[in-house]
Amino acid sequence: MSEPRQSPPDHLAGSRRRFLKVAGAGAASATLLSMLDARRAPAQIKGTSLRMLMWSHFVPAYDTWFDDFAKKWGEKNGVKVRVDHIPHLELPARYAAEFAAGSGHDLIYFVGQILTGQYYKNLVDLSDISDGLGKKYGGWMESSKSAAQVGGQWYAVPDFYIAIPVLWRKDLFESVGLSAPSTWEDLRKAGRLLKAKGHPTGMQFSHCNDANHNWRAVMYCFGAKETDPTGQNVEIDSKEMREALKFAKAMYDEGMTPEVFSWDDASDNRFLASGVASWIHDAISAYRTTEDTNPEVFKNTYCLPEAAGPGGLRWNVGEPNVWAIWKFSKNVAGAKEFIQAISDSQKEAMAASRGYNLPFLLGQYAKPMPGLGNDPKLAALQDQGKITAFFGHPGPMSPPAQEVLTTFIVPDMFTRVARGGAVEDTMKWGVGEIRRIYGKHKQA
Amino acid sequence: MTQASAGSGPPGTSLSVPAGPQVRTRAWSRTPTARRYLFGYTLLAPAVLYVGLLVGVPFFFSLYLAMSDASVGEPIARFVGLENFRSALESAKFYIALRNTLAFTVGAAIMKGLLGTTLAFLLMQPFPGRKVVRALIVIPFTLPITISILGWKWMLDSQFSVFNWALSRLHLIGGYGSADWPVWLGQPGLALLSVMFVNVWRGFPFSAIVLMAGMTSVAPEIIEAAKVDGATFVQRFRKVIVPMIAPILFVGSAFDTVFTLSDLSVVYLLTNGGPDGATEVLPTLAYNMGIRAGALGRGAAVSLFLFPLLLPAMIVLLRTLRRRQY
Repeated sequence: MSEPRQSPPDHLAGSRRRFLKVAGAGAASATLLSMLDARRAPAQIKGTSLRMLMWSHFVPAYDTWFDDFAKKWGEKNGVKVRVDHIPHLELPARYAAEFAAGSGHDLIYFVGQILTGQYYKNLVDLSDISDGLGKKYGGWMESSKSAAQVGGQWYAVPDFYIAIPVLWRKDLFESVGLSAPSTWEDLRKAGRLLKAKGHPTGMQFSHCNDANHNWRAVMYCFGAKETDPTGQNVEIDSKEMREALKFAKAMYDEGMTPEVFSWDDASDNRFLASGVASWIHDAISAYRTTEDTNPEVFKNTYCLPEAAGPGGLRWNVGEPNVWAIWKFSKNVAGAKEFIQAISDSQKEAMAASRGYNLPFLLGQYAKPMPGLGNDPKLAALQDQGKITAFFGHPGPMSPPAQEVLTTFIVPDMFTRVARGGAVEDTMKWGVGEIRRIYGKHKQA
Repeated sequence: MTQASAGSGPPGTSLSVPAGPQVRTRAWSRTPTARRYLFGYTLLAPAVLYVGLLVGVPFFFSLYLAMSDASVGEPIARFVGLENFRSALESAKFYIALRNTLAFTVGAAIMKGLLGTTLAFLLMQPFPGRKVVRALIVIPFTLPITISILGWKWMLDSQFSVFNWALSRLHLIGGYGSADWPVWLGQPGLALLSVMFVNVWRGFPFSAIVLMAGMTSVAPEIIEAAKVDGATFVQRFRKVIVPMIAPILFVGSAFDTVFTLSDLSVVYLLTNGGPDGATEVLPTLAYNMGIRAGALGRGAAVSLFLFPLLLPAMIVLLRTLRRRQY
């Protein structure tokens, strides 16, 4: 793990921050304009309008940047652009309504809940853009393809994913004689020693997105698999899964408190920022929140891209986001041009998200990466693409995998065992539910 | 048309009409009774059409979805009969959701009944500022649900709950992190009770208003007469007020049961059915399965299980209501 930065005196830090802010804003505007100039959209989209549906990003500054980008892109290409932001959990209902009505936004966005497999028959084939981007930027991350492809065709274009690393407190670890963690066993030990000192750890045992990511990370690091690589056969009924469940139970008993059963996606952010947590497993939005709200804790907060399981496996479970276009879109050409433009601007997007957005395109991992490369504590995330898996691993993000995700079967399995349920009973229940879901989709 | 023209022709030509019953039908259609029926049904038609479109179409569409393998991307799908219902019955999650739905509905109905009645009686008493209090009391019912639930989420937070900190400062519970620190939305029984409580908080002003509306229609002379006869408060309520306002009570209860049984927002926003299904109800299960996972057919089947739960309750309520009216 990298060493902490020397903190400058407050007055210098303030003025430097101001300088960086002003200079950064100027540089960003100049870059944005030159970037938009670099590519001329076809004349056919001039005079059209483009409506897009987006989520509300966890880093509000990114939405500001994005809206500005869309506005400037529209002005440059003579397209009237309208961006609608809604909470990500409401997106699936909105898509169902738009599809049923046969009208709605021209450009849509799947966030975390990847519905490409459900809607692909009604989505525009975007193979031309995706293949072009792949060639231009050194290819796509292999694990990302199933978020956008069905039967080898691209019905969506991957935009970025969110990493969920370990955020740990160096001062607290050192207070009990521990060095930087590297494995899940290290984290368990830290939880055990630090809970006794009033600094427990926590991962959500509830029905929220983070619970789905976090416990899948434990599963995959322990070598458990949801399905085979084809996604046809459920493989969760394994020794590795049982070991992961037992480990989670021990980690809960030794290092956590019952509050983890009630947590939502933001609870662990607050837990870290409050100074109580010894470590959490969350997106770097928690790191950023702490930076803004509790500088003292932030100074001692470090990042581990992912902890390794007993066999040395290290899989971080990312949250994927992809672009798609309805077939009934009134401006397919404009929507395609916009996807191309925003994909060409991933660096700027990453800077605006303060390192939160991670690219799917391998060529966009050139170091130093914006928002990460300049922060020694986050620099290790520049290699995150190498250890990132997504739900359904090692199988695809298919409709049955999506159903297993949205019905929270995996976190519920971990919850049952943490609460004292027998591992075998839990396996019987969970495997049964997952097999039933895959069976239903096979029939359909 | 031929028969009609024959009938309306000169007397001699009517003899050529062969079918006797048709003549009778024609004759009946011209009677005042028939005209009254026609007029009545014509007046009724807009209401029937309105109910048919607003209730019947969505219901039969749900039924169609529940008997098909429809997904969000393929609403026109294969007929699968009762397969989706069978699939729901095979799932352990379904039984947990069913159990919670019943507990949630019955528990909330009892609490709303008790609190609503108490509140209605209190608000019927004369006191200074009664109008202001009456206006304030409907706030939970009128607030946008997302805002009020976010407020509750914060108040029931595991770390920053204002209730916990107040109880802790009063030395009624231990400090944060101690064994008796309640985790309102995390402990199975407590979590279900918490979501039920928030539902009650939102809904009991409605019960109180319904009850007040009924009670204001009871003539004070009748209550006075009961008092003179020596009836206690409970006797007056049970034997005089309740029978008189029963129709309003039944309609209010019917509305309340439907609202509670189909309440998705409170559970979805507070716990999304977690932890481990402790607060899972049929609407959240149906939503997560049908919309978020895209399995429309199976989601519709789960949501339709609400129908057999509601139907008997509604039949009993409406029958009782009709018996009391005639």
